Amino acid sequence: MTCHERYLAGCAALAVAALFAASPTHAQAPTQPQDAALNAEAAQNDWPTYHGTYKSYHYSGLDQINTGNVKNLEVAWLHFPERATRGLQSTPLALDGVLYYSGSYSRVYALDGATGKTIWAYAPELDEELVAKQTHSPYNRGIAIGHGNLYVGTVDGRLIALDLKTGKPVWDTKLLDSKRMTVGFTGAPLVVKDKVIIGAQGGEWPHRGPIFGVDGKTGQKKWEFFTVAGTEEAMKTWGGDSWRTGGGGGWMPGTYDPETNTVWWGTANPAPLYDWAGADWKKSGPRPGENLYTTSVIALDPDTGKLKFHHQELPHDAWDFDSSVGEFVMLDRGGKKLVVHANKSGYVFVYDRSNAKIENVWPLVKNINFVKSIDPKTGELIGRRDLSEGKVDPPLCPAIAGGISWNSGAYNPKNGLFYRIGQEWCMELTVEKTTPILEPMAQLNIGATFKFVPPPDGPARGHLSARDPVTGAKKWEVTYKQPPLASVLATAGNLVFVPDSEGVVHAYNADTGEELWSRNNGMGHNAGIISYMAGGKQYIAVPAGWGSLVADEFVALYGEPFKSMPKNTGALVVFALRQ
Amino acid sequence: MRITSVIVAALAIAWSGLPTAAFAQQSSSAGSGNPLPQAEASPNDIEGGKMFATTCGYCHQDGGRHAGRGPKLSKSERSDEYIVERIKKGKTGAMPAYGSVFSDGQIIAILAYIRGLDD
Repeated sequence: MTCHERYLAGCAALAVAALFAASPTHAQAPTQPQDAALNAEAAQNDWPTYHGTYKSYHYSGLDQINTGNVKNLEVAWLHFPERATRGLQSTPLALDGVLYYSGSYSRVYALDGATGKTIWAYAPELDEELVAKQTHSPYNRGIAIGHGNLYVGTVDGRLIALDLKTGKPVWDTKLLDSKRMTVGFTGAPLVVKDKVIIGAQGGEWPHRGPIFGVDGKTGQKKWEFFTVAGTEEAMKTWGGDSWRTGGGGGWMPGTYDPETNTVWWGTANPAPLYDWAGADWKKSGPRPGENLYTTSVIALDPDTGKLKFHHQELPHDAWDFDSSVGEFVMLDRGGKKLVVHANKSGYVFVYDRSNAKIENVWPLVKNINFVKSIDPKTGELIGRRDLSEGKVDPPLCPAIAGGISWNSGAYNPKNGLFYRIGQEWCMELTVEKTTPILEPMAQLNIGATFKFVPPPDGPARGHLSARDPVTGAKKWEVTYKQPPLASVLATAGNLVFVPDSEGVVHAYNADTGEELWSRNNGMGHNAGIISYMAGGKQYIAVPAGWGSLVADEFVALYGEPFKSMPKNTGALVVFALRQ
Repeated sequence: MRITSVIVAALAIAWSGLPTAAFAQQSSSAGSGNPLPQAEASPNDIEGGKMFATTCGYCHQDGGRHAGRGPKLSKSERSDEYIVERIKKGKTGAMPAYGSVFSDGQIIAILAYIRGLDD
C-alpha cells in the first residue's frame, strides 16, 4: 500500500482500525501488519515486528493489565517447542489474535493467542552436519511478518518465507555460503515495504558480514551491503588485505524510519576481537585503520541497499563492543527527531535521526575502563585503551559480554522513561597474536584468552534502570544478583516487565520501580517478552528456556541455579488476568 | 592404552619444551581404549596455544585454566581419547565439532597444549 507516502496525514484511521482487528477466524483476517500499526509509538492489539513497532519502544498500548490488577496475573496457557537446544531466545510476534514464535533450529509455531492451540508448525530441514560445526547455533532470535508471509532465517545461511495462514513454504533462498563461512542467520528479519532485510552473524568470524535486502514476494536477493569495506571510503580504512577477514555483520534486526525512507542497522565488531597493535593501530596490527563499517550504526536506503550515512560508535573497536546490540528508539524531543541506540560497551548514543550526528552520549553502566569517556558532543573516544600483546592490567571493563547485551530495553512514551538492563563485570585478558583460520571452514578469530572477574566496585551483577533516554538522568534502579538476559516490556498499564535469569518474571510500577508481581517460570529467560490482544483479552507472552552464549558464563560466575539449569528445554509461557 | 608410535612421534614434537609435569599427566591418563588419530605433525600443526587463543579460548577461559562457557581443561582427569573425541565430535548445543575442520595434527597440538597447562 502507499501509506508510506501519506503517512503523516492518512494513517490515523488505519491505526484506529487496527485497534479493532478481527479474530483469527474472521474471513477478512489480515495477513500482514498495517503500516499504521508498524509506524505507531505503541504496539496495540498486535505485536507486528520484532521491536514492537518501527519506533522500537517495546511498548504495548494495552492497559487491561495494569498496576491495580497485575497481582491477579496467572498462567493462561503454555506451549512446549521441540528441540529447544540452548533454550528459547526469540521474541514472539502477534497478529490478529494469532501468536507466532520461533525456536532453535528455526522451528516456527503459529498458535491461537487465546488458547495456545496449534494452528500450524514448521520445521525446516537444516544441514545438521554444518550445524554441529557452529559455535553460535542452533538458536533463533526471531521472525518477521509481511506480504502474507512469515520470514525466518536459518543458521545454514537461508532465508525462508512461509505462508502466514498455512505455514507452507513459499520460497527458500540461500544467501550465505555457510559451509565456508561457518556462520548463518540467527537474528530476526525486518520487513520494510516490499523487502525483507536480514543481517548475517559475524563479528569474530573472518568474513565481511553482509546485510541483505530480499524481495518479499519472490525471495530474490535485491541487494547486499558489506559491513566490512562496503564502500570505497570504507575500503581505505582497512590496511592491506585485512578487509577480506574483517568480521562485521549485523546479527540483530535494526528498524525503519518511514519519514526519511531509511533503514537503521547496527553492525558487529571487527575480527580479530582483540588487536595487539596498541596505540599504533592506525598503521600496524592485524587490521590497521578505523575498520569501517564495523561497530557502527549505518543508515541504508531500503530500496537499493546504498549507504546514506553512518556513525562509527567505536572506531577500530579493539574490545568486542559492537553496535549490533541495541534497538533504535525513535523519539521527538524539543523539536528534534532523535534516535537512541545502546552500544555493547555500556554507552548509550543519541543521534539526530536525519544524519546520525551525535546529540549526546551517556553511560548506562558504572564499570567502564576501555576509554576514560566518550565526548557527549562529538562521540570522540577520550583516553582509549588500546591493547598490546600480553597480559592486560588492570582487567578490562566491561567484559566480553558487554555492559549491554542484545536483549532490548523499552521506552514508555507516557512517562518518558527508558528502561534498560545494564551489566557490571570485567575480565582478565591476555592478548595473543593469531592468524585467521579460513580453510576448510572459517573459524572464530579471538586473539586472546580471558576470564570474567567481578568489577572493582562489587560483585558481578546486573541492573534495570529507568532513565531519561536523551540525558541518561536516572529516576530509579533495581539491582539483580545476575544480569537479566531477556528483553524488557513496558505497557500502558504503567508496568515494566523483566524476565530474569533465575527464571522469575517481575512486574514493576513504571514510575517508581516498586515490584508489584512476580512469577517463577522455573528456568532462565534469554528471549523477548510481548503483549497482545486475543478475543478481547490482553495477554503477556514470554519464552522461557536458558542457554545463550552469555548465559553459559553464569555457571562459573554464580554456580547454582545455573550449574543445574537445563539448556535443552523451553516453554512459551502466556499470562492473563484471573477471571 | 598404548599410544601408537606415530602419535608418540607427533606428541614428542608437539610437547617439546613442555614441563615434565605434562608428561606425567599424560601418563596417568593413558589406558585402554580407542587409538588416538594417526597424525603426522608438521611445524604448522604444533601451535596449539595459538589455535587456542584463536578459537578455543572463546569458551574455555584463561587459556583453559578456568571454567567459563566451557569447562576448565587444565589438570583434566579426562583421558586423551575423550578429549580428542570431544574436539572432533563436539557436543550439541555446547561445543562445535572440529573433526573435519582441524587436522589430526592440529588436534593433537591442542591436546598437548591442554596437557601442558598449569592452574
